[in-house]
Amino acid sequence: MSKYDYVPEPALVKGDHDFASLTRLVTDINLRPTPKGWYLAMIGANALLAVLGIAVGYLIWEGTGVWGLNNPVGWGWAIINFVWWVGIGHAGTLISAVLFLFRQDWRTAINRFSEAMTIFAVMCAGVFPAIHVGRIWVIYWVFPVPNQMAMWPNFNSPLLWDVFAVSTYFTVSFLFWYVGLVPDLATIRDRATDKIRKYAYGIFSLGWTGSNRHWWNYEKAYMILAGLATPLVLSVHTIVSFDFAVSLIPGWHTTIFPPYFVAGAIFSGFAMVLTLMIVARKIYGMKDIMTDDHMEKMNIVIMVTGSMVGFAYMMEFFIAWYSGVEYEKAIFLLRATGPYAWAYWAMMTCNVLSPQFFWFKKLRRSVGFTFFISIVVNIGMWFERFVITVTSLANDYLPSSWDYYSPTIWDILTYVGTFGLFFTMFLLFLRFLPMIALAEVKMVIPQADPHNYDENHDYQAPKVEIPTPKAVEA
Amino acid sequence: MSHKPTITDSLEFPQNSMIPRAAFGLGFAGLIASFIGYFLQPDQFFFSYIVSFTFFAGISLSALITVMLHHITKASWGTVFKRFFEVFSSNIWVWAIFFIPVLLGMHNLYHWTHPELFDKASAEFDKILYGKSAYLNQTFFIVRQVIYFAIWGWLGHKLYKASVEMDKTSDWGMTTLMRKISAPGIPLFALSVAFAGFDWLMSLDPHWFSTMFGVYFFAINFQAFWPVMILLVFFLQRQGILKDTIKQVHIYDLGAWFFAFTVFYAYIAFSQFLLIYYANLPEETLWFYNRLEGGFEYIAYGLLIFRFALPFLLLINREAKRSRFMLGLVSVIVLVMHFLEIYWISMPANHAGDAHGLHFSWIDIATFLGLGGMFFGLFFNKFKKESMIPQNDPKMDECLSKSYHH
Amino acid sequence: MSAPAKKKIEEQPKLHGILGEFRNPKALYDVAALTVKSGYNKFDTYSPFPIHGIDKAMNLKKSKLGWIVIGHGLVGFCGALTMMYFMAVMDYPMNISGKPFFNAPAWVPITFELTVLLSAFGAVFGMFFLNGLPKLNNPLFNVDRFKKATDDGFFICIEAEDSLFETEKVKELLKEAGATHIEEVYD
Repeated sequence: MSKYDYVPEPALVKGDHDFASLTRLVTDINLRPTPKGWYLAMIGANALLAVLGIAVGYLIWEGTGVWGLNNPVGWGWAIINFVWWVGIGHAGTLISAVLFLFRQDWRTAINRFSEAMTIFAVMCAGVFPAIHVGRIWVIYWVFPVPNQMAMWPNFNSPLLWDVFAVSTYFTVSFLFWYVGLVPDLATIRDRATDKIRKYAYGIFSLGWTGSNRHWWNYEKAYMILAGLATPLVLSVHTIVSFDFAVSLIPGWHTTIFPPYFVAGAIFSGFAMVLTLMIVARKIYGMKDIMTDDHMEKMNIVIMVTGSMVGFAYMMEFFIAWYSGVEYEKAIFLLRATGPYAWAYWAMMTCNVLSPQFFWFKKLRRSVGFTFFISIVVNIGMWFERFVITVTSLANDYLPSSWDYYSPTIWDILTYVGTFGLFFTMFLLFLRFLPMIALAEVKMVIPQADPHNYDENHDYQAPKVEIPTPKAVEA
Repeated sequence: MSHKPTITDSLEFPQNSMIPRAAFGLGFAGLIASFIGYFLQPDQFFFSYIVSFTFFAGISLSALITVMLHHITKASWGTVFKRFFEVFSSNIWVWAIFFIPVLLGMHNLYHWTHPELFDKASAEFDKILYGKSAYLNQTFFIVRQVIYFAIWGWLGHKLYKASVEMDKTSDWGMTTLMRKISAPGIPLFALSVAFAGFDWLMSLDPHWFSTMFGVYFFAINFQAFWPVMILLVFFLQRQGILKDTIKQVHIYDLGAWFFAFTVFYAYIAFSQFLLIYYANLPEETLWFYNRLEGGFEYIAYGLLIFRFALPFLLLINREAKRSRFMLGLVSVIVLVMHFLEIYWISMPANHAGDAHGLHFSWIDIATFLGLGGMFFGLFFNKFKKESMIPQNDPKMDECLSKSYHH
Repeated sequence: MSAPAKKKIEEQPKLHGILGEFRNPKALYDVAALTVKSGYNKFDTYSPFPIHGIDKAMNLKKSKLGWIVIGHGLVGFCGALTMMYFMAVMDYPMNISGKPFFNAPAWVPITFELTVLLSAFGAVFGMFFLNGLPKLNNPLFNVDRFKKATDDGFFICIEAEDSLFETEKVKELLKEAGATHIEEVYD
């Protein structure tokens, strides 16, 4: 006998489900009357959304002076929150596109959910660059449209690359999400009994019939979109990292930024998906589809990407010393020991240390612990952006021009308010759209594979026989 | 309806095959020629040697990470190739012996080994390099190499042993063991390879630095790993080996990885270039400046076209990844470019004599053939000892009965 | 034929095809293969998810979508470069940090993004175009049972337009193939 036990692949969908029971499990949520709890949650989310409205309104009325920016620190919470939200918005497309190309079928349980999260997170992110410009009424200057100055945008500016990257990302993610939704909207259309739902879902499902001639083009489109979205998702956070890295500021100008930002984005995005998933699957009874195995796999991704982020921190620190450049060395020492050391160590603890707990299988499979770490990770990733943005600006070349940066109440309210936007959208999504990619989940259960039927068209569940180990002849 | 796929090929490498001996023969001939080169032009010899050494070490290292990732992700796409990966990576400890010439030639290769740079009284005193002396000194350099090869050698050997044991005992519990080795193996690999990149190539220009260099070093090697696999499989199948077991669909997957990591390579290499080009800081830009003049610019532009643009355009089509001709063609192009890229990274640091500017030497070819012959000699010598595929792998049936995903 | 009788014929709904329901993906796969073998080509199968390998059974040709996407991608690529060249080199050149007006490395991000954006448009709208969607009115929606096609039903519809179409023969074919339910579909 072996010292080690073979661990067979867990089934993707738990419980004794067939196609019809999956349909009911997922679409009943959209068809039954709205629960009271939903209204309560919506009131809370709308209150926060109102806070956002007030904070943004006041900012536009008064100008960016209401924020805590000071002389060396010209970039504060706005860019931090932008990068944080955009980072979170990477998990959805990663799950739906990259894992699709890698043929990771477990993605089907969470892809719809996390794509929705992606889209709403990018919307929250988009608020900040739009409002930070000061004169928001001329925001169209960032687009290459003729204006009264007869000037064009600066195509050499990474901030402009960002405009293109984020808007492309939002559009493509949205299309990808919608394409996935069409067959499931048709399912709700066909189950709906009231007129309004019949019409609404009927229109948005575009007359989908489930024709296999259509599926044929559909799958091709899905494949191509996945192929396009994969480099796109990498490019977006790469370009966000360029915002910092093309500059000359010590601590910003470092070549590892692109892959390091991407790893960090996946890290925080997966954490956010877990935070939401653990709550949602409990409330909506989705534990058969969003299983503990999924949670474990996602925890492994968090562990891997967290370690990649740790790797990047290490490279930065080492090369700052190795470079022999005085200012590079100084900024990294100041990060760890200077006025913002509290933020630096918070970042290190949350991002590098906390995911290492997932080396233990027990902890990876513990729902409560996962929920806790998923929040810790997102706090850590906020601090990472804080450390990058603020420390490098506050303590630059000349100590005489150093200053300490603190946010004002308006910085804080704007940030808190974006959660209102996010949760409002998310609650609408949970209420009106299927939160599981139903057609895709059906596709990966064993009943979907024609190979699992015998000649009489009776279902034969696939079996794996584990061989008994033989002794080796010496 | 599901049925166990049957294997019709012989899984034993033909024991009377001339391939291992031919490779060793080529290797010895090349190494002897290189040795003569050492007496004629020692600086040229060492630079040529480190280029070829890196080329082949990179293949082994890429094989090692591939096999570890394969275990960790419980993948099935490459089960038929797993023995190849395992044999490549289990030979890394032997490859440590071939690092000895680099250690002997440290003084020729690495500017930072010159003691006068660290002597404050000397006119050659270099303040910046003096600041790095805690890392860039000969003792620590050697210690680091021992650590790297110990990590890689241990991982490669362990994974090979466990897999071969599973062949014989059908004990699927081995997959758990292999995952237990791979999980810590991957972070160890990442760190050691990044620092090996710093040591072997980046410190040839000791003033220059790039935080991305470790990732870049990995990216160039990993892209080049897939064409090696593709050409190796084509070569074996021409000899009638594993002709039916390795199907077109498996080769398609190699092509898909090749394509993916071509894009990844371009992403990493371009990001590194763009950031340094854009900021234009003298301490960083000089490295690229030296590589965009004196004839090296032709290699640089060649990399853009032949290592990224052309392979990208040729392989983007699914039909192309099914065409042996196309895959073979792109593989050869990329391997040539991979060699040239390592050459392009290393050679501008060779300032000995009239070495300025691009000039190829016969020693480049001699060391390449010498190390290449030895590398593949070692490969086949080990490959012929065990079954050519991990026949009792739990994923084997899934891999063999694979069909195109459209 | 008298005038009222003729009118009655016109009022009669036109036969769209025969719809057969099957038990599971395998049964649908087999009937699709049988239908092709029997010489029909105006037919379609319907299932709540794409059935692996049914393209072969139905003898479907390679999707043309790839070409549409490449075309769009090229427009995005060339369009981005043309736009930037016109704006930053021809119309209003500005010296930005001493870099050339045609600053190729710095233009890569935007060129890439627009190529991807246009390709994605090609993929999504091209797919809907090839599938003839949106099409909100479909004779199949007249069949109540067809609602199962988006839930757990597996259907085949052999259309009346097919040159070999004969109501009884088609019904016989579906019945022999093991249809659990057969129904005529009218426009």
